[in-house]
Amino acid sequence: MTALAGGREIAPAASMRRIAAGGGSGPAVVLGVVFTVLAGVAAAGCGASGSSAEGSGVVALATPNSPLVTLRIGFRTGSVDDPAGKNGLNALTALTMGRGGTEALSFQEITEALYPWSASIRAQADKEMTVLVGEVHRDHLEPFFAIVRDLVVAPRFDESDFVRNRDFLTNTVVSTLRGSDDEELGKEALNALLYAGHPYESPTVGTEEGLAALTLDDVRAFHREHYTRARALVGVAGGYPDGFVERVEQEILDRLPDAGGERAPLPAPRALDGRELLLVDKDAIATAISIGFPIDLTRAGDDFHALMVANSYFGEHRTFNGLLMNKMRGQRGLNYGDYSYIENFIQDGGSRLPIPNIPRGRQFFSIWIRPVPHHNAHFALRQAIRELHVLVDEGLSAEDFEATREFLLNYSKLYVQTTSRRLGYHMDSAVYGAGYFIDEIQRRLTALTVDDVNAAIRRHLQYDDLAIAVVTRDADAFRDALLAGEPSPATYNTAVTEEIQAEDALIEGFDLAINPERVRVVPVEEMFRAVTAG
Amino acid sequence: MSWKHRISAAAALVLAAVTAAGAQDGREVFPFPVTTFELDNGLKVVGVDYDSPGIIAYYTVVRTGSRNEVEPGFSGYAHFFEHMMFRGTEKYPTDAYNAVVKRIGADSNAFTTSDWTTYYIVASSDALETIMDLESDRFRNLQYSEDDFRTEAGAILGEYNLNFSNPVSLLRERLHDLAYTTHPYKHTTIGLLEDIREMPNHYDYSLQFYDRYYRPENCIVVVVGDFDQDELERLAAEYYGGWERGSFEPEIPQEPPQTEARSARITWPNPTLPFLMMGYHAPAFSDQRIDMPALDVLSQLLFSETSPLFRKLYLEEQVVDALQGGALDSRDSPLFTIIARITDPTRIEYVRDAVIDEIERLKTEPVDEEVLAATKSHMRYGFAMGLDNPGGIARTLGHYLQLTEDPATVNRVYELYDAVSPEDVMMVADAYFADTNRTVVILTQEEGQ
Repeated sequence: MTALAGGREIAPAASMRRIAAGGGSGPAVVLGVVFTVLAGVAAAGCGASGSSAEGSGVVALATPNSPLVTLRIGFRTGSVDDPAGKNGLNALTALTMGRGGTEALSFQEITEALYPWSASIRAQADKEMTVLVGEVHRDHLEPFFAIVRDLVVAPRFDESDFVRNRDFLTNTVVSTLRGSDDEELGKEALNALLYAGHPYESPTVGTEEGLAALTLDDVRAFHREHYTRARALVGVAGGYPDGFVERVEQEILDRLPDAGGERAPLPAPRALDGRELLLVDKDAIATAISIGFPIDLTRAGDDFHALMVANSYFGEHRTFNGLLMNKMRGQRGLNYGDYSYIENFIQDGGSRLPIPNIPRGRQFFSIWIRPVPHHNAHFALRQAIRELHVLVDEGLSAEDFEATREFLLNYSKLYVQTTSRRLGYHMDSAVYGAGYFIDEIQRRLTALTVDDVNAAIRRHLQYDDLAIAVVTRDADAFRDALLAGEPSPATYNTAVTEEIQAEDALIEGFDLAINPERVRVVPVEEMFRAVTAG
Repeated sequence: MSWKHRISAAAALVLAAVTAAGAQDGREVFPFPVTTFELDNGLKVVGVDYDSPGIIAYYTVVRTGSRNEVEPGFSGYAHFFEHMMFRGTEKYPTDAYNAVVKRIGADSNAFTTSDWTTYYIVASSDALETIMDLESDRFRNLQYSEDDFRTEAGAILGEYNLNFSNPVSLLRERLHDLAYTTHPYKHTTIGLLEDIREMPNHYDYSLQFYDRYYRPENCIVVVVGDFDQDELERLAAEYYGGWERGSFEPEIPQEPPQTEARSARITWPNPTLPFLMMGYHAPAFSDQRIDMPALDVLSQLLFSETSPLFRKLYLEEQVVDALQGGALDSRDSPLFTIIARITDPTRIEYVRDAVIDEIERLKTEPVDEEVLAATKSHMRYGFAMGLDNPGGIARTLGHYLQLTEDPATVNRVYELYDAVSPEDVMMVADAYFADTNRTVVILTQEEGQ
């Protein structure tokens, strides 16, 4: 439920179409597209590590009746491959390809070519995978393909494109992330805490110092070493003509360098030391909270679908199906929303579904508490963690299990309403070495029992070791309050039921048991300056 | 059912029709078969046959938004009421409603803009009757307690808080407040913070709001995807036929012409690059007049990635890292709004003047015919490429339906785009971009930050 005060995101520059996201009261500039996209990307072997060639090649999905064609040119590289001190190198390489020129055409010439077709090319980078996504009407597939191909195999890497894109990423870190989006800031703070010392630690877009250290030669070398055939996974979908897939193979894959197939082993994240707390101090209008811990489970794991059911019951993204959403927002009106995840999750535009092509070899469980008025933040944190206790200790009832399974069996079909998304999920399944994700949900969920789900909860979820990231005003005082552990009753707009009052009595004094040795307050200006390496 | 007709006989899956070639031979931009009918109580139902096997999108469009918030102290109510629509009925209390939505695996939500509010469900085709039962029930029989109402106000404050961690929300709020003196577009859709804080105390007003606007003659149901049209008509009569027509006629105060340039500077307490936001009062939506389509073309000429201004500020000088401008289709006169994020705090005025200079140039220099043709092609293909899923199609059609109630509007608008001439572009540049019609707000980081 959203007030579209404009509601649109923009690329670095764009004119506005009148219709946009359903109208709105004014143009919205969220400065989000590139950041949002890049915020999700990374690199290394998913599911494992090493030099396996699995998950490379071409995935083709023909829909002959469709007038649209999608190309997803993926590479199994990401921010995990950024060299020490050069955080952001992959993101900048991807951006300078996606928003740069080819040997034959400048960025400006490409922009002018794409414009009358309304075709798009965008870069999406995460920690272990990077994708150039191109979409075009088939009327223009031939010249469009030539451009996409050359961006991949013969990028221009012009100095001007490099500087502009590097500055944009720097602005994303120092201005957008620190000053314009407390929810993303909270999630990135959780990532930094969770993965301190791990290749995942840096924001995918890089750090302030890492970006400042980059040169155009770095970008060229990174491209040469990491955007290789062995790491390539190319997806093609839509109404493309006969023989097109073969051309993609010949004109893109066959022209990529052979080197670079070796992917560095991805270490396990550090073990959390009890409940660790990172407070980001800024003049925030409300308190944003993210909680998480690593889990040793991906889509390739046997327990994934059982845990998917548990998570949907607990905190399905932006629905009232989730227990957190019902109890924190629905019953108490504490904030706008409260959800949980068992994978890295980046919302696809205005939808409520995750974008594809952000597979990771290491995943984490997380709880996202959207901004809460400062005076209720302590209570909200207590409630979220207490609910996690209840989930882990008690699991799902048979009734909750059945209802959630039925929901997911239907809802998962909506994941792939567009051909582009379907292609993306097929590619992800190839990376994970698993069956097609949507089909696997149907197959696995049908065979699940409530005992399977509760056993998976016990194997993968816990509440003793948590990373807690909080973005708030007057963080020192909040830290002191959290450590002191005094009761923190919620303040409501109205009287609540006796049932809620009784539960609140348990929540407001709930022992957060934060490890005082693992508490840090960081001014926002110091966030993402560089990785801390531990 | 008092009337019924079918428009657009184009075959499904012919997005290829939405091409420049299509424009030349007069084919319509909206390529899917559309069927409309109206119940005796005034509810319009629009069905779109689209090839999405087993899936439908069900949108209920309410032609009410923050534009209808005319009483002082009640900004944000259209949006607040959208939230209350999820608080249940006697037949389906909140938990029961949520349980059904969960069982059918639906993607269900809503959004509110300045002009309209929409509730949508995307789900399996076989859930059509269940959806119509749920949706008709809450539109006819919503029932919530004052405690529920006061609790939901907390979620609204939460949404305000998350929006206003972004300086653009503050900019937009200030720009509208400054540019408008009278019309409800003076406030943004989420509402003013002081009004949001007072919301818990206005339970009775919310009931009045429901009574006024959640009436069949003010709503349009749009169904897109894989469904049976005859069944839709039968179910519409069954579930919505008894819904009582309303009689409320909102009086929206109209904005007098702006007669002097206005400006303001505001600060942001956290790290940020400077922002420049400019607004010019623009014409209300019309599918008959050339002004709005010509302005949309003008926005492309000014701010698309192929425009001279973009090339200068973004590519060559790199003094902005974001630049955007245009006006949204609106029932009443919207703001043509321009926004830039500026990379160098000493160049704010330079960017502002560069934008103004480029507008002045377009008042007197006719656009090159080839550039104009490329712009029109871009707009047509952009429209076509957005029509790739049932929800997107329903939202697009819903947008035009809330403006005119006529599904043929979308085709008429694109016929107007095709007709825009270089002279039309100069005409609207001259008519709507006078200095006295301009409001400028500049946001910079607070000193000491």
